[in-house]
Amino acid sequence: MKFSALSWTRLTFDFLKSHAKALRVTALLLLLALSGYILYLDITIREAFEGRKFALPARVYGRALEVYPGLKLTPAQLAGELQAVGYHENPEPNEAATYKYTLNGLELTTREFVFGDGPQASQHLRIEFADGAVSLLQERGAADTDLPLLRIEPPLIGGIYPGHNEDRALLRLDQVPKPLIDALISTEDRKFYSHWGIDPRGIARALYKTLTGQRIEGGSTITQQLVKNFFLTSERTLTRKGTEVLMALLLEMHYGKDEILETYLNEIFLGQDATRAIHGFGLASHFYFDRPLDRLELQEIATLVGMVKGPAVYDPRKSPDLVLQRRNIVLQEMVRLNVITQAQFVEARQKPLGVIHRAPTGTSPYPAFLQYVHRQLQRDYREEDLRSEGLRIFTTLDPRVQRQAEEALTLRLAEIEKARRLPANTLEGAVVVSSTQNGEIQALVGGREARYAGYNRAIDAQRPIGSLAKPIVFLTALEEPDRYTLITPLDDSALVLRQAGTSDWKPQNYDHEYHGQVQLRTALANSYNVSTARLGIELGVDNVLDKLPLYGIERRPPSFASSLLGAFELSPIEVAQLYQTFADSGFRTPLRAIREIVTAEGQPLQRYPLNVEPVAAAAPVYLLTAALQGVVSEGTAKSLGNWVPAEVKAAGKTGTTDDLRDSWFAGYTGDRVAVVWVGRDDNKPSGLTGASGAMTVWGELMKNIQPEPLQPAVPEDIELVNVDPVGGKFYDMDCKTGVIMPFIKGSAPAERAACPFFAATTGNEAAPAASAVAITVVQPPEGKPEVKHEPQKNWLQRLFN
Amino acid sequence: MINRSRLFFVAALLLSLAGCASAPTQPPAISTTPEAQPQAAETPLFGESPEIVPETKPAMSGNHAVIALLDRAQTDNAAGKRDAAGASLERALRIEPRNPWLWHELAQLRLAQGQYAQAITLARKSTSFAGRERRVQALNWKVIANARVAQGDSAGAEDAFKRAAELEQVEAIPGL
Repeated sequence: MKFSALSWTRLTFDFLKSHAKALRVTALLLLLALSGYILYLDITIREAFEGRKFALPARVYGRALEVYPGLKLTPAQLAGELQAVGYHENPEPNEAATYKYTLNGLELTTREFVFGDGPQASQHLRIEFADGAVSLLQERGAADTDLPLLRIEPPLIGGIYPGHNEDRALLRLDQVPKPLIDALISTEDRKFYSHWGIDPRGIARALYKTLTGQRIEGGSTITQQLVKNFFLTSERTLTRKGTEVLMALLLEMHYGKDEILETYLNEIFLGQDATRAIHGFGLASHFYFDRPLDRLELQEIATLVGMVKGPAVYDPRKSPDLVLQRRNIVLQEMVRLNVITQAQFVEARQKPLGVIHRAPTGTSPYPAFLQYVHRQLQRDYREEDLRSEGLRIFTTLDPRVQRQAEEALTLRLAEIEKARRLPANTLEGAVVVSSTQNGEIQALVGGREARYAGYNRAIDAQRPIGSLAKPIVFLTALEEPDRYTLITPLDDSALVLRQAGTSDWKPQNYDHEYHGQVQLRTALANSYNVSTARLGIELGVDNVLDKLPLYGIERRPPSFASSLLGAFELSPIEVAQLYQTFADSGFRTPLRAIREIVTAEGQPLQRYPLNVEPVAAAAPVYLLTAALQGVVSEGTAKSLGNWVPAEVKAAGKTGTTDDLRDSWFAGYTGDRVAVVWVGRDDNKPSGLTGASGAMTVWGELMKNIQPEPLQPAVPEDIELVNVDPVGGKFYDMDCKTGVIMPFIKGSAPAERAACPFFAATTGNEAAPAASAVAITVVQPPEGKPEVKHEPQKNWLQRLFN
Repeated sequence: MINRSRLFFVAALLLSLAGCASAPTQPPAISTTPEAQPQAAETPLFGESPEIVPETKPAMSGNHAVIALLDRAQTDNAAGKRDAAGASLERALRIEPRNPWLWHELAQLRLAQGQYAQAITLARKSTSFAGRERRVQALNWKVIANARVAQGDSAGAEDAFKRAAELEQVEAIPGL
């Protein structure tokens, strides 16, 4: 534009000479138009300059590993955690983020880090292990001192980036090492401190070459490069060049050299990490060398400066030789201009490139979790603030649990497809894992391709939940201890429900049989549809469904009896919220992915504190958990024992929907709640039941994260009674025939039965009372109970002995 | 060349015209990333807090990490930094999620923060893990009582104080 502007001006001058008076008005108008245009450019460039200075993405961190004596951890696991946050093995681990193995453990030096609750200084540490746990935690020093606790820096798991996925780590000019500025000025713009935005000789040279048809080329000053960087296009035309020159001049009029240089250092494009653009030397230093800028050595600084010329071409990971050459040219320029000594030059020149090898991670290795975090943030923050204010967001993601969840899903789906000769990659799935006691989401897997930020099934797939809804019916029943206990007989005979306005509803059991009178716990363990439907109707469909909002399910399903059997849709994360309450003894804790948010300056901005609400009485939930443990020990999820040892006493429920479209498993251990969905994106039948699909993923996951056994606290109003579940009477506690079962006080059988003699003689004499003989009650078709003795403990005895 | 410099002069004139038309601004200083900030003089993370001696409660945990976090929470609480105290208690709870004393401390904190419903719930939760530890049960009833007072439920408060007293009495009887 400048050139057309100049020619216009020239024209005006010619006119003025010959027709001075006649065209004075025209000239003024033209001048006005030109200054209007320049004014427009001025506003544009200043907006860009001011705006960019603050575009700092939000940084999202995973949970920080807390290490303390007694923690179950191996040296290899710790080393893995350290590597994941960028530590390197070093025989002298005294620099931040280094470690080494010792005889019994590790020695390391942590980085300084500003946590949500304040800064933590770098520490020299020694950690020793014994019997699979941390046995010693010491600060290394003149005299070693024991520490109670170490919090390792959390892994950066992603960012919420401005516009073009630009990432940067802002630096003030006084934080930038002088050699960097020297190198930059030596190579890119020697007259930076004296010119006024453009270098006329450079421009003249460029113009000459362009006009003589040699090539269109730069001759750009740092100011011009900055302008160019603001409007990232590689277009090279005279018009653009003209605009760039004008803008450079305007920038220099408004801002000082230092400000321009500072912005340049933070703005310049220095590489691409999958979808994330690396801007500025601060971030580039971490991206290529995994160290802050002020810890880079001369040759490393020269490498970064050399890349300014074109980071796509001079990519040290793709073309190390080219970058090495370029680096040495930068060093040469520096020594030529006497900003470094000959000795420094010779030393730096000999060093290797030293760029860290790291698989590019894109915007986040955990896109599904990050998306969930982003959505939670959007409720409380404006999108533009998230993308520009440099907020630091501390989340609950546990990389170890996440990795196991991803691997369990990928592995099992591939195995299932292979075993069932299904076409590869037709099955999909989702996993949500949260912590029982505080509702923190530790892992979220949105699909088989966990790195792919696509359809996030964990939060967006709405699927019928099938039998996962049954615990709501049973809990509603158990909340009326006068009417229902775990051994209350339920009617599992054919049911036809006639409702005005709808066709008859005839629920079927999965095995297409009716089971007559079944105990409440058995109906749940075997997931009988008919007895569950009868129970729900007896309680009142609305009475059952009205409970859902209490458990955190906001959308109420339609008031049809079929809703009792899960004919309504939920996402995996909603199911996790539902089961969270069962796992946490009736306390509802909203699932959380964010712990706290601090500003770029480290000031606490917002905490998401633990919030607990009592929504169900502890005693009925205790009974429900016992029944759900029965599902695993002797019901539809019995084969979970192939993955999770019986001692874990996991509680869970399988879910299967019509024509085997959806395979669900929701369950909990002492420390975690996990929900798995498996099915097909096109909603065609997957051929999987809850137990043959989702449950195996759940088992594989739990197997690898060492679950804590589930031992819910026994509520005050619960008593353990030795009963004959079939006869509905109680035995004395020392009678070995009975089954020890929890009851809400006052609801246990009131009638005492004499202990049958034969039981005492068939039991294993060496074993303690009541748990020696397991009794399984089998209901023959005619409904006449038959007692069978098995040489193993049954589910409740395993549970309570 | 003469012509050229004259043209530049005009261009410069126009530029300054544009410059005047827009008011000069003072760009705000660049903010720094916290990592890059120099370390301020900081309180030691696991420093002792000799001034704050908890009332004579039994050892709340056998885990030194939990004790350190409790100390830190108490220090922060005493300094009026209740959010920070809550964060430390939650850290402790991640290590020992079934420790009734930690839940009790959190209930106390919510009471101090004026979150009465939360205080009551957390006190209940503490009690659910308390087993036979009557001491913490009694303290939880006191939290509930005080929260009810604040909520204006005087009958409920009286009832809760009574339960607390009963539990304390039972505890006082030797041999029980």
